[in-house]
Amino acid sequence: MTGLPVADLLVLSGALLAVGIFGLLTRRNFILILIAVEVAMNATILNFVYFAAFAPTAAGLSGQAIAVVLIGFAATEVAVGLAIVLALNRIKGTINVAQATELRE
Amino acid sequence: MVLGLLIAVGEMLSPGTYVNSQFTWLHLAGSPGTFPNGVSLVVGTLVDPLSALLLLVVTVVGFLVMLYSIGYMHQDRGLPRYYAELSLFLAAMTGLVLSNNLLEFFLFWELVGVCSYFLIGFYYEKPSAASAAKEAFLVTRIGDVLFLLGIFIYFYHFSTVGPSGGWAANGFVFANGTAPYLPVVSGSGSTLLTVAGLMILGGAAGKSAQFPLHVWLPDAMEGPTTVSALIHAATMVAAGVYLLAITSVFIGFTSTDQLAIVAIGGFTAFFAATMAVVHPDIKRVIAYSTISQLGYMVLAVGAGFAMVGLYHLFTHAFFKALLFLAAGSVIHAIGTQDLFKMGGLRKSMRVTSAAFLIGGLALAGIPPFAGFWSKDDILGAVYSQLGSHPLYWPFFLLAFAAVFLTAYYIFRAWFLAFSGDHTRDPTLPHAHEGPWVMQVPLVILSAFAVVAGLFIFLPNFQALLLNGAGATGIPPVYGPTDLALSGISVGLGVAGIGLAYWLWGNGRVYALPEDSPLQSVRKVLLHRYYFKVAYDWVGLRLVYGISRGADFVDRYVIDGTVRGLERVFGSVSNGLRRAQTGAVSDYAGYVIAGLLGVFVLLLIVAPYLLSKMGGG
Repeated sequence: MTGLPVADLLVLSGALLAVGIFGLLTRRNFILILIAVEVAMNATILNFVYFAAFAPTAAGLSGQAIAVVLIGFAATEVAVGLAIVLALNRIKGTINVAQATELRE
Repeated sequence: MVLGLLIAVGEMLSPGTYVNSQFTWLHLAGSPGTFPNGVSLVVGTLVDPLSALLLLVVTVVGFLVMLYSIGYMHQDRGLPRYYAELSLFLAAMTGLVLSNNLLEFFLFWELVGVCSYFLIGFYYEKPSAASAAKEAFLVTRIGDVLFLLGIFIYFYHFSTVGPSGGWAANGFVFANGTAPYLPVVSGSGSTLLTVAGLMILGGAAGKSAQFPLHVWLPDAMEGPTTVSALIHAATMVAAGVYLLAITSVFIGFTSTDQLAIVAIGGFTAFFAATMAVVHPDIKRVIAYSTISQLGYMVLAVGAGFAMVGLYHLFTHAFFKALLFLAAGSVIHAIGTQDLFKMGGLRKSMRVTSAAFLIGGLALAGIPPFAGFWSKDDILGAVYSQLGSHPLYWPFFLLAFAAVFLTAYYIFRAWFLAFSGDHTRDPTLPHAHEGPWVMQVPLVILSAFAVVAGLFIFLPNFQALLLNGAGATGIPPVYGPTDLALSGISVGLGVAGIGLAYWLWGNGRVYALPEDSPLQSVRKVLLHRYYFKVAYDWVGLRLVYGISRGADFVDRYVIDGTVRGLERVFGSVSNGLRRAQTGAVSDYAGYVIAGLLGVFVLLLIVAPYLLSKMGGG
């Protein structure tokens, strides 16, 4: 296996995760939060694909399969998320999550 | 009712028929040490001579009382409730009589108890009725607890060390359908069995209002008179005697138990009769008389003659129900229970007067009325056993003395209510007989009160009694075996009636002189030997004191702990409430913080602890 060294890959996926979490915690726009979640999730998918290359064939295939399934998950998640965004917008007239605090005690 | 009659008649036609059917209700696997065969709780019915006799009483008297109630209760707005409770009672009583094991018996026993509670408190608006109901329930409950303990002891005993057959596998079932029954305990059994017998006696004493648990029955007269007739004279209170009888037939009592039963029965017979002598309330006089007669039955069972006791139960049920219904007829007509306000009712209420007279003669043991045969049988039976223990003597004599008192008090009541020219209280309404539904039961019961004792001369009835008597080695006594004994008892009865006539006859009212030394005796009797006062005192001081202590512990120790915990959790959760902002990003922050916490635990703390443990 040539190309990207392990350390570089870990830095890359770690950075992606950090960016995602940072976005998740700081953004107030629902759509931006969804994008941040996608970014964090892609860090995971990247890890699966990368380390699958080191594994024997069967296990490697399953690593790649999980990556594909995760991409599917991400798509459904976005679909659900966007549906919530639409509903939220219809009810509140805004997609700012800071204003959606109906579940407060 | 018809079914009950059929069974009873069938039993009489072919004595010795036993029908026992049962199914297992619950089976618990046993452990090798204690109950090797496991525990089966069964539900079943058993029809045998004992239950047939009782079945006859319950259904006939029950039917007549229900008929009578149509007239007696017709204005009462609680009528549906009344009939519902009465029917429940009859069903429970039938179940009790037909039970084939002690546990099932106990269930029905409790059910009749609660029906009795409902019906005593039928006029629940009256505080005295409500408190009488409570009193009856609580006092009989003492007996019930003892009874249950007795069942447990028998169960423990017979399922571990008992004889083989039906007993060993199952300590509860008291019959396996073979006759004659063989009591498995006799003579000087073990201490455990003696204790169990005493517990059973306690249960019977509670239900049958025997000394010292007799206080509830006179107060139970707060219920409708029909209820007194059915439950508190003919059937339910007899359940205690029935319990003693089946226990003595199926299980048997030790000789110590027998002595205790004889003592309680003989003493109660006399003790209750003395209280009836002075009481001004017609129903309570009859109630004391019930306690006294139940004492006779208990005495008979204690002396080893269970069937003689049940024979008296049988005759007593008819003439006592008759007396109560006649009294109810009087109360219905003039609206008072005070004997001193009545008088001269013989003219306006001929049927009732005759019925009460017949009941009184039967109760006083004048031949050929029903009470004579069975009471004499009891006295003869006890007399034949006097040799078995010197302590039987005093109780035999007490029971004998009670014959005189019985005749006196019941005729005092009759003379006060029915003889003379007019009622003593002129404000009372003019008396008239009730409707035919009230008169017919009186007539039928009168017929029974005359002839029920003569049943003993039917060979099949004898066989019925003999079959249930079991192989105790003591044959039941029939009729006047000892003419001298009968002569004395009838003489005492006549003397009692004579004294009553001399003091109260023809409308006379005997006033005890104020300076008579008997005044103090009268006072004690009127206050029922101060038993109620004493029980109230115990209840108030002792039980209330204990309850106060328990209340303190409950309030400050248990509740204090709970409240303290509640305060801690309350403040903690109040703090946590602020974390619920509703903002999504805050929650996301918590999730990530939690995740980080888990990582810290897994990657840093856990390896550190593991290395410590491994190293230490």
